[in-house]
Amino acid sequence: MSFLGYKSIIEEGDLVLAFIGRDSIKPINVKAGEILNTRYGAFPHDIMIGSKYGAQVSGSKGFGFIHLLYPTPELWSISLPHRTQIVYTPDSSYIVQRLGITAGSRVIEAGTGSGSFSHALARTVNETGKLFTYEFHESRYLEAKKEFEDHHLPNFIITHRDVCENGFDIIQNDETVDVSADSVFLDLPSPWTAIPRLKSVVAKGKRIGICCFSPCIEQVLKTVEALEAEGWTGIEMVEVAGRKWEARKDMVRTLDDALDRLRDVKRRQLEGIEKVKLIRAQRDNTPVESADVEVSSGSKREATEEADSEEPISKKARGFNPWGRGIRVREGDEAYQWFNVTRGEGEVKSHTSYLTFAHYLNFDDE
Amino acid sequence: MSELERAWSVEKTTIRAHARCLVRLPSDQLKIVELRPGGSISLGKFGAFFVDDVLGHKYGQTFEIVDDKKVIPVPGMTYTGSKDAEDDTAAAESADSAVADDLIRLALKSGVNNQEIQDLGAEVQKLSNADIEEMKKQGSSGQIGQAIIDKIIQGHDSFEKKTVFSQQKYLKRKQQKFLRRFTIDYLGASQVLQYYYGKDPGRVLDLSEESLGIMMNYANIMPGGNYLLVDETGGVILYAMLERMQGKGRVTVVHENEHPNHIVLNNSIFSAEAVDDMVKTINILNFFEPEVVVPWKELPEEEIEEYKPSKKQTYFRRKKRALELQTVVEIVKKGNFDGMIYASTLSPSTAVPRFIEKIGGSRPIVVYSPYIEVVSELSHTVSKDLRVLAPSIIATRVRPYQTIPGRIHPLMSMRGGGGYVFWGTRVFPKEGITAIGRGRKKKKLNSEEPVEV
Repeated sequence: MSFLGYKSIIEEGDLVLAFIGRDSIKPINVKAGEILNTRYGAFPHDIMIGSKYGAQVSGSKGFGFIHLLYPTPELWSISLPHRTQIVYTPDSSYIVQRLGITAGSRVIEAGTGSGSFSHALARTVNETGKLFTYEFHESRYLEAKKEFEDHHLPNFIITHRDVCENGFDIIQNDETVDVSADSVFLDLPSPWTAIPRLKSVVAKGKRIGICCFSPCIEQVLKTVEALEAEGWTGIEMVEVAGRKWEARKDMVRTLDDALDRLRDVKRRQLEGIEKVKLIRAQRDNTPVESADVEVSSGSKREATEEADSEEPISKKARGFNPWGRGIRVREGDEAYQWFNVTRGEGEVKSHTSYLTFAHYLNFDDE
Repeated sequence: MSELERAWSVEKTTIRAHARCLVRLPSDQLKIVELRPGGSISLGKFGAFFVDDVLGHKYGQTFEIVDDKKVIPVPGMTYTGSKDAEDDTAAAESADSAVADDLIRLALKSGVNNQEIQDLGAEVQKLSNADIEEMKKQGSSGQIGQAIIDKIIQGHDSFEKKTVFSQQKYLKRKQQKFLRRFTIDYLGASQVLQYYYGKDPGRVLDLSEESLGIMMNYANIMPGGNYLLVDETGGVILYAMLERMQGKGRVTVVHENEHPNHIVLNNSIFSAEAVDDMVKTINILNFFEPEVVVPWKELPEEEIEEYKPSKKQTYFRRKKRALELQTVVEIVKKGNFDGMIYASTLSPSTAVPRFIEKIGGSRPIVVYSPYIEVVSELSHTVSKDLRVLAPSIIATRVRPYQTIPGRIHPLMSMRGGGGYVFWGTRVFPKEGITAIGRGRKKKKLNSEEPVEV
């Protein structure tokens, strides 16, 4: 298993993303004898070993299921343990595309945070490229380091460092590591303090791209001023808005059906009154006055669908019932008419951060 | 370095002979050109330049046409300050501070607001069009553009009544019109998209850079992948995939005509050999009905020897093509692709379900359309198809800002559209599985049909 390539069959020791539901994807390291417990049942790891990535497996009791997915950075970003606010795919994919990051790119990322973007970057720069990621928070650094190692990312150097204070230079075995980054991503509270420290680690004789990721406009202002002061050009700030929809069905309710239903209600009311009168008359032995209200033609469609149902018929479901009121109707039930719709998320991310882009023509002393 | 590695080692830093690159003009117009050594390239009203003068410089460098087609590097498109521009490349001042410097150089006053500005139309300008044309004829040197701008400002009656902001905007507009400058940029996928989108958005299916980026990520495009692609953008998506894969892996392109339309690759950074090696093409008929492909029949050597040279050539060409097709048919038969990107006006809801069998387990299916209704219809179609997990529709939109300290605000206008992306994962449904939930009681009584959670 590797985020930098694919395989088809799950083996012991592999990372599997157990898809439980849209908002619930659980990363598991497959180990014989262990069991994954979910709200849909228990799933022994033994049934996963040897099965294909993408397989649907049922729980040990024979019902409930999960899907076994291959880890990609995009699925990982949905399932990962959040240590900080993460960079979501609409932002991260645009940053990668706009900075022109491809296989072979050398990228600086500070800070590492939850490592969501790190995975996407490591995948894209791949084996021929390199990711230099920095995290100043010690336990977050340790967790990220372990995670990247567990995920066999072969192409990164993670450094425990406050880059705003101590810059980006990396010393390994008494030697300065050649960073020569061509792209820089700064997700820091004060990127303007880190920008002046980049000179020694960006590639010489090249056009360098940068993206600073800040939630507040005041931060953008300071960042732009620092970029200008340091000779960066083509400064532009943008916002990315990602929206998601799901295909759903909405019942078609026609005016004619609504009219017929009211007519039916009225007819049944009158029938009820007549019935009551009749009962009273029989009880009191008095003659019946006939109603001078016209009774509607009656219903086209009686509530028959629920006749064979196990559930008791509620009061609402009586009479002409064109939309299945009072009974449970599954979305898309063929007895009804449906409109294909797309439903947006209940809550959207209306602001993630401002993305300030710039480039630096590092054409001096190649 | 192997032959193939050399074919794929695209120079991303230095401007080299025969490279295809992007030329940005002061008017924000774009051109894709091939840098043939010894030749010159015309930039329309901005003049022309000798290719040899730009070779050896770095991508991102701005040049100024100083003398008949001769160019020198300058720090930026709107930079005007120092005379020794050649040594000052890295001074690289930001566009706006350069404009501000220019205003200082002209020692002009500015207004506080627009109270004193009268709308007099053309009357405020003493310089006539004829005067400007006359000046243009006086020479082709780079200084002419600057001289014209200086004259225009001096001839502007109420320039000094304008605010500094408004003066800067005015100056920038004039620079875009008269300066003989251009920037040479690396021709990446984003630049290719920008160029073709600028020519005709419909030709690239209204695809935006952010949609292209998110498709590359959702489809998990990386070196070594074995991808399936249907691309009606003229090859922009293919270009982006090749850029991310850097020579490793394979893209099988399925097209609906006799030949695929990859117009974008005709002018690309990738060599023809490299593309031939990585990109396999097949039409939809051969893809879905490989039995229609007639196997190649080798003729006896003696018979070929007797052919005329032209006929012989045709024979070998046909043989090559037939064997190539055979290879692609074998690839398709094997299936198990590492994902698919589908961007075509051929209705996805009719086509995509037919491709699913060929896609490997847990691999992404990414579909693009300029219209939400189209991806929505697909989403409805596959919502009953248990082979596609968690289908969703995503739209991503970038909103650009005017980024000048003290005057930061979203731009008044931006491009609309940008398309919609469908994303789902190919899975293998297991027969007879029952979900936990409200349907379970009913299912026990009725059928064995699985339902989704």
